Amino acid sequence: MPRTKILKNVVLVALGIITVRLFFIQIIEHDAWVAKANEQHTLLETIVAKRGKIYMKDGNDTVPVVLNNTVYSVIVDPAVTDKDKIKESLEKNAKDYITADIDEVFNTEGLRYYIIARNIPHSIATKIAEEEIGGVWFQKSNQRYHPEGELASGMLGFVNADGLGQYGVEGSLNNILAGKDGVVKSVSDINNIALSIGNDNVKIPAEDGKDVVLSIDRGLERGIEEIMAGAVANSAATNAAALVMDPNTGKIIAMANVPNYNPDNYGKVSDASAYINYTTEVPYEPASICKNFAFSAAINEGKMTSETTYYNTPYTVVDGWKIWNAEQRAILNNHTLTMKQALYWSLNVGSIQALKFLGDDPDNITQTGRERLYDYYHNKFRLGQITGIELIEAAGYIEDPNEGWGRDSTYANMTFGQNLGITMVQTATAFSAVINGGVWRTPTVVEGEYKNGEIIPLNLSEKISDQILTESTSDMMRDMLINNRSYKVRSGIDRAGYAIGGKSGTAQTVVNGSYDNEFNQMIGSYIGFIGPQAELPKYVIMVKMWGEGQALSGGDAQNLFDSLSNYAIDYLKIKPRY
Amino acid sequence: MNRKHKSDLVILFSTLGLMAVGLIIIYAIGPMRANVLNSTYGTDYGSNDFFFGQLRSVILSLVAFFVAFKLIPYKYIRKYAKALIIFAIFLSALLWILAMSGSSLAKCELGECRWYNFGPVSFQPAEFLKLALVIYLADFLARKKEEGKIGKFQDFWLPILIVCGLSLFLVVIAQGDLGTGVALISIIFGTLLIAGVPAKQYLIMLALVLVVAVGAVATSSHRKERVDAWIATLSGSESTDSTYHIENAMLAIGTGGFFGVGIGNSVQATGYLPESINDSVFAIMGETFGFVGLFAIIAVFGAMLIHMLKVADTTPGQEERIMVIGVFSWTLAQVVVNIMAMTSLVPVTGITLPLLSYGGTSMVFIAFAIGLVSQVSCYTSREVKKNENISSGRGVRRSYHSSRRRNS
Repeated sequence: MPRTKILKNVVLVALGIITVRLFFIQIIEHDAWVAKANEQHTLLETIVAKRGKIYMKDGNDTVPVVLNNTVYSVIVDPAVTDKDKIKESLEKNAKDYITADIDEVFNTEGLRYYIIARNIPHSIATKIAEEEIGGVWFQKSNQRYHPEGELASGMLGFVNADGLGQYGVEGSLNNILAGKDGVVKSVSDINNIALSIGNDNVKIPAEDGKDVVLSIDRGLERGIEEIMAGAVANSAATNAAALVMDPNTGKIIAMANVPNYNPDNYGKVSDASAYINYTTEVPYEPASICKNFAFSAAINEGKMTSETTYYNTPYTVVDGWKIWNAEQRAILNNHTLTMKQALYWSLNVGSIQALKFLGDDPDNITQTGRERLYDYYHNKFRLGQITGIELIEAAGYIEDPNEGWGRDSTYANMTFGQNLGITMVQTATAFSAVINGGVWRTPTVVEGEYKNGEIIPLNLSEKISDQILTESTSDMMRDMLINNRSYKVRSGIDRAGYAIGGKSGTAQTVVNGSYDNEFNQMIGSYIGFIGPQAELPKYVIMVKMWGEGQALSGGDAQNLFDSLSNYAIDYLKIKPRY
Repeated sequence: MNRKHKSDLVILFSTLGLMAVGLIIIYAIGPMRANVLNSTYGTDYGSNDFFFGQLRSVILSLVAFFVAFKLIPYKYIRKYAKALIIFAIFLSALLWILAMSGSSLAKCELGECRWYNFGPVSFQPAEFLKLALVIYLADFLARKKEEGKIGKFQDFWLPILIVCGLSLFLVVIAQGDLGTGVALISIIFGTLLIAGVPAKQYLIMLALVLVVAVGAVATSSHRKERVDAWIATLSGSESTDSTYHIENAMLAIGTGGFFGVGIGNSVQATGYLPESINDSVFAIMGETFGFVGLFAIIAVFGAMLIHMLKVADTTPGQEERIMVIGVFSWTLAQVVVNIMAMTSLVPVTGITLPLLSYGGTSMVFIAFAIGLVSQVSCYTSREVKKNENISSGRGVRRSYHSSRRRNS
C-alpha cells in the first residue's frame, strides 16, 4: 500500500470518528445538553414590587410621610473579585454599610456570590461602581425613608430587612403596601447579566404596592406628640398614648404614642415594647371612664335619669367585698345624691347603683342587671372585641355575666372600669356612641388609595353604623359630661362658646397577680369631647398616661387632655358658638 | 519539472472559505468576548476589537498565502532550509533565555512564556518553528533519500534526533506548549513515513515517542491534571475546575443540535466557555451552526487534506512531495487534536484550529505553508497528463492562456 494511502486512511478514520462523535453529541444527546445548558444559563430574577407610599392629611392637602429610597447591596464572587480593591473602596466610601467580614468571605473556600455590604445609598454606590472593580455586582432594593422622622412611629410601624412590614400600618396593611413581586426568567451570561437571546424569556411584571392615605392629620399629630412629650417629661409618666377621633364618622385624625422611635433606625431600639401602638394593641382597664357606659345602659333602658337619686355611702359591700368611693367628703358621704352628682364626683357606689337600677332592684345586683350590662358592654358598645380598624388590634375581654365565681363583685367593678380588658380605640369608639346621638361606628384610620392625585376608598373593613342608644340617652349623657367639666369653664381652661365634656379614670393595676391596693402603680386616663356650644361634638380625645411603678391619676391625664383639647380647637379651627 | 498549470482549487477555496467563516464567527462572538473580559478582568476592549484583530490576521495570512503561492519559488526557499531551522531554533531558545531572565520582551500568559512581545504585536516563535521544520525535513529527507542513506544511524537518525529533539524540548518543556508539540511530532512522523523509512525502524521510533509521551504526562502534574479531567468528563463524574472547560465545550456543541442556534445567538460564548475565540472556536461554531455546520467544516478540512495528499501523490519532485506531507501532517494534527479535545475524545492540549481560531502568528504561518502546497500543486504531473490525454495541444494552450491572464 502506498504510504500516502495510509495517511488518507488516517484522515478518513479520524474525521469519521469525529463525525460520529458529533452526531452523538449534537443529535442523540441534544436534549440532555439543552437541559443542562438551561440549568446553567437561566437566570431567575425577582422584580421587587415597589412598596406603596404612606400619606397623611394636612388640612386639605395630602402629604407623604413614608417614602422609598433605592439602596444597593454589594455582591462579590471570591473566585474572581479583586479583593484588595473592593475592600479599599468600601472602607473608604461605605464603611458603615459593610455587613460581612470581607477577609473571611474571601478566605472561605468554595464560596461564591456573597453580599458584603447593604443599604448603600445611590450616590455612594455610584462612586464605588465608577471604580470599575472587576467581579463586583450591585443589587438594587428599596428601603423605607421617613421624611417626618419619628412622627407617629408607633402607628406607622417599619419595614424589616426582608421587606416585610412590621407593626403599625406597615404591618397591618403589608399586603396592600407590598404589592406583588414579578419574575424575570431569562438566559444570562456568566456574570448573570440577562441576555436577549432565546425564546424562553419570561417576564411577569411586578405589581407595585398601593399608595395609602391615612386619615391622620400630620400637623395635628405633630402638635399632639409635642404636647404629650412635654406632659411625660413633667410628670411621673414614662409613656403616654392619645387618639383624636371624629365621633360622627369614626375617622381617627391623630393617634400618638410617646416616646416615639426612629423607624429609619428601627434596629437601634433596645426594647421591642417601643414598637407597640398602645391605642389599639394593649387592652387595659380605663377605670371610671367606663361609668359612662354603665350610666348609658341604665338610662337607655329607662331605669334611671341623670336626676334619679340614691343614698350615697362611703362604701358598699358586694359578695363580701367592701368597695369604696375614691372621694370621701362630708358633703357626699351619707347623703342623697343625683346620678349626675355621682358621675361628677366619680362615685363607685353610684355606678354600682346604676347596675342595681339596671337589674330592676335598687338594693341588689341581680342576674338581669348583669346580663343587661353585659349586653351593653359587649354587644352594643362592642367592648372586648376588635373594632375593625385597619390596624393590628387586641380584642381584650368582658367577663361572662353568669359563669364563674363572684359575678356580682366582678360586675360591680366593671361599672367603674375594672375587671375588664379593653383597648383605647374600643373605649373611644364606645364613648363616641355615647355622645354622638347613640350611633356606634367602626373606627377607621385609612382614607383610601392615593392614585393620580385622587383618593379612592379602599373599603378594607366593613363599616358598621349601629344605633345602640337613643338620642335622648346620648343628650342626657352629654349634659352630664359637660357638667363634669363645669369647674374647668369657671377656671377659664375651657373657653366660652364651646361644649367640652369629659370623664377621668384612675385605674388600679394588677401587680404580681392581684390588684395593687397600696396604689403604687396606677394608670391615668381621660376621655372627652370638644365642639361648639349646643352642637353635636366634633371630636373625641382620649389620653392615657402610665409608667412602671408610677402612680398616675385621672388628674394627670386630665391636665394633658386640657392642653390637647385647647390645641385641637385652635388647630382644627373649631368656631365657638355663643 | 512539469509544465505549470492551475493550482489545486479545492485547497485554494477551502483556505479562503475557512478564513471567511472564522471572520464571521469572530464578528459574532467578539463583542461578547470583549464584554466578558471587560467585566471580569476590568480590561477595556471595544466591542469590535476582536473582529478587527481577526481581520488583520486574515489580511496578513492572505498576504502570506499569496507570497508563498505566487512570489517565492519553492526551489529558492529550499536553499535556506538549514538556515531557517537554525534561525527558528535560535528564536525559541532566545525566548526561553529572555523568559528566564525576566525580560519584558518575553510575553507570558498563565505561567507559560510563548510569545515575543513587540508592543502592539506579538510573535509566537513555535509557529515559525513548525514551518521551518517542515522545510528542513523536506530538504534533509529528500537529500538522504537521493544519497540512499535513509535509516542509517549516523547520517540519518542522529541529525534528525538532534534537530527534532531540540525543537520538541524548546516547545514542550521550555514553552510548555503541548499542542505545538503534538503538531511537531505529527510533522516529523508524517514526513518520515513518506520519505520511506523502513517500517520496523519507523514503528520503533513511534513506540519510543509514545513511551516518552506517557512518561511526560505521568511526571507533570499539570499534564496529568488534564488527562484526569478528560477521564472525569468521560466517566461523567463530579465537575471540577479542570473539567469546566471541556464540559462547557460539550455543552456548546450539544445545544447546537442539528441546525444550530444561529449567528449571534451563542450563549456559551458569553463567558461560560473559556478560550471561546481561540482554541474553543469549534465548540462555538457547533453551537452556532449545529451538526450541519460542523459536518460542512469537517468536510472542508477533509477535502483539503485529501487534496494535499493528492498533490503529494502527483508531485514529481521528492522534496516537494515531503514538504506537502509535512504541511498535511501539520494541518491534520491541529484539526484532529483540536476537534477531538472539544468533543472529549482526547485531553485538552491547547491547540488552535487552523484558519478559524483567533490569533495572528498561527494563522499567518499555516497560511504560508498552505500557500507553498498550492504553489507545488501547479506543477503536479497527473493533472498535466490528464489534460494532455484529452488533447495533447489543449493542455498546453490552456496553460498558455492562464499565464496570459495572470500577466494582464
